[in-house]
Amino acid sequence: MSLTAESPQAASRPPGDALVVLDHVDKWFGDLHVLQDINLSIRRGEVVVVIGPSGSGKSTLCRTVNRLETIDSGTISLDGRPLPAEGKELARLRAEVGMVFQSFNLFAHKSILENVTLGPVKVRGVPKAEAEEKARRLLDRVGVGAQASKYPAQLSGGQQQRVAIARALAMEPKVMLFDEPTSALDPEMIKEVLDVMVDLARGGMTMVVVTHEMGFARTAANRVVFMSDGQIVEENEPETFFTDPRSDRAKDFLGKILKH
Amino acid sequence: MDWLADGYGLVLRAFLLTIELGVVAGVFSMLLGVLLAAARVGPVAVLAKAAATYVLVFRNTPLLMVFVFVFVALPKVDIPQLSFFAKGVLALTLYTSAFVCEAVRSGVNSVPLGQAEAARAVGLTFGQTMQEVVLPQAMRAALPPLASVLIALMKNTSVAAAFGLIEATARMRFFTNDNADVRTVIFLVFAIGYVVIVELMSAGAFTLERRWRVAR
Amino acid sequence: MRFTRSRTLLAAAGLTLAGALSACGNAGGSDSESTDVNVEENAADSFEDGTRMKELAQDGKITIGVKYDQPGIGFKGAADDAPTGLDPEMGRILAASLGIDDQDITWKETISDNREPFLQKGEVDLVIASYSITDERRQIVGQAGPYYVTGQQLLVKKGSDIKGPDDVKGKSVCSVTGSTSLEQIEAKGAKARGFDTYSECRDQLLDGSVDAATTDGAILLGYAAEDPDNLEVVGPTFSEERYGIGYSKDSPEMCQWIVDTLKKAEDDGTWDKAFEATLGKSGVDTPTPPEMDACPSS
Repeated sequence: MSLTAESPQAASRPPGDALVVLDHVDKWFGDLHVLQDINLSIRRGEVVVVIGPSGSGKSTLCRTVNRLETIDSGTISLDGRPLPAEGKELARLRAEVGMVFQSFNLFAHKSILENVTLGPVKVRGVPKAEAEEKARRLLDRVGVGAQASKYPAQLSGGQQQRVAIARALAMEPKVMLFDEPTSALDPEMIKEVLDVMVDLARGGMTMVVVTHEMGFARTAANRVVFMSDGQIVEENEPETFFTDPRSDRAKDFLGKILKH
Repeated sequence: MDWLADGYGLVLRAFLLTIELGVVAGVFSMLLGVLLAAARVGPVAVLAKAAATYVLVFRNTPLLMVFVFVFVALPKVDIPQLSFFAKGVLALTLYTSAFVCEAVRSGVNSVPLGQAEAARAVGLTFGQTMQEVVLPQAMRAALPPLASVLIALMKNTSVAAAFGLIEATARMRFFTNDNADVRTVIFLVFAIGYVVIVELMSAGAFTLERRWRVAR
Repeated sequence: MRFTRSRTLLAAAGLTLAGALSACGNAGGSDSESTDVNVEENAADSFEDGTRMKELAQDGKITIGVKYDQPGIGFKGAADDAPTGLDPEMGRILAASLGIDDQDITWKETISDNREPFLQKGEVDLVIASYSITDERRQIVGQAGPYYVTGQQLLVKKGSDIKGPDDVKGKSVCSVTGSTSLEQIEAKGAKARGFDTYSECRDQLLDGSVDAATTDGAILLGYAAEDPDNLEVVGPTFSEERYGIGYSKDSPEMCQWIVDTLKKAEDDGTWDKAFEATLGKSGVDTPTPPEMDACPSS
């Protein structure tokens, strides 16, 4: 289990070879060109924060990586292999890509523990006892071990989102996608989720995070990708991007969110 | 009440056949209906279309016509002969599964899209997603309409009275034919029988509903 | 005045004859004449005041419930104007004795379940609908007769293993749901298969879904006569059905009138003609009319 590999130099470890590659990706929603010629390469161990105004296509971009959204042209590959189109192959790929949603999406009819063990047992064929033991470790790690037998509706939003992270981690993914993981949370719960994410980043997890949390980006990200109107407008190291944005659209956007 | 004293064994046997028809057709209707619902919401266009056509045909055809089809038209085709019970179950299942499909489909639609997305994101296949995540929740939402469909099925078994199966309604007509003077009483006794069966089903559905509500 | 009336009656009788001829195709050949009934003139005068017969005779109208689905007994095809069969013939004989001619008879279809309610509510004046006399029925309605006695038999496909009522154990036998015939065959160990009409039973028999059909032999003979290559009636009768004429208990005086009128028809050969024109067409010999029950003393 690499998740808890707490090597002190993990955050500064130099990112490795390309793990996720988007090459000339285009997508339309009807007449709307939501992704326009996207080229993005995410290296192993890299933490990329995707930022941009609403409607910029950043969530769509995130969802194309595990093919929850299909693309109209271009290619996306994971660990050197292009994404399969359908069926069991696609399911196998998704198991290697963890996803955390804005609205948590915990399985409402299953206990917290079952939420975390479902994937390993059904997809990987891990024996139930083993899966439960690992699930409990993960739940402890994200701080909700005591809630294992409860149902999602009995947990706070922050707790649910941490369970969702544990659920994704249980599959031992190669990369984790976070689609605005804190946007649906009350302010006092945002930190508990971000702490877990920072911890993950330090542990060397490859992460794509769609978020407006500047603090997280500054603390944990290797790179910030700024999107607007379906295009990647600018990308840079967090510090440079936030203090000295080059494009007018980035300046405009940062001006709005920093001043409010 | 001489007729009842002499014939209570026949009354019980008739209601037993009513219940057998209802339960066996109910089980098959649930199986077929859930498969149809899965096909309707599934990603395979041909299956979705086929399931939609099935529902269109059998939901919009009077049950009596389905019975006539199974009992009068099918025997003319050169296929192995089914028993009367099997034909009754077949007719009831063809009809009821269309309603089960629609009840389950409405249940599926009530499950937030995020649930299926999360299941797929974990790596579950379409079948696993349906079986593990969507259907269990859909069935909870579909329970009240499903209970109505199954109750209607139990009462619809009476159509079989005109097709060679001596269930409760057919047996009632024997008694009314023989005992013209106490027709009203006979009718009431048989009506009460149906009411008891349906009330037991309602109580069962209610218990299930309450238990599942607590579990969330 | 009287002259004009008899001319009208004559014309009406002619019409009836034509109607009966065209309508009897279902009961057998169309080469024999229908019953020729003499309509009484001044019939009202011969009944005592206050009797139902007097009222009917004065009104010149009567409503009679018959079956529409039993060839030879009471049958009316979709295109027919009036029902044919032994039961309607009995109705015509009774109506004639009241001075009511054919065109003033209103025929109403009765099924097994509504015969008593129809009589009790006065929706029909008489029920003549293969209406077996039973003690239970006599408790709530009047039943005069019997005017015909038949018995339950079996209709099978030619060459069937079933040769009589002792062979039906465990076999599927069809009749009309709720009928006495079905109950009796059930008592013999057969699997009783109830359908709505006898013609459905015949179809089930022909396509092999049931092994036999059962009801009163007279009805079965009608079906066998329609399809002699495939169907035959087998075995002895194993029940006795005594067809009676239903009337309301509010008018007990009708019983003696019915018995007297039918007795007269039996004696003068009208009954024989009625039988020959209907059930007789399936080839059975005309039986001796049955002895009728005495009317209850009121």
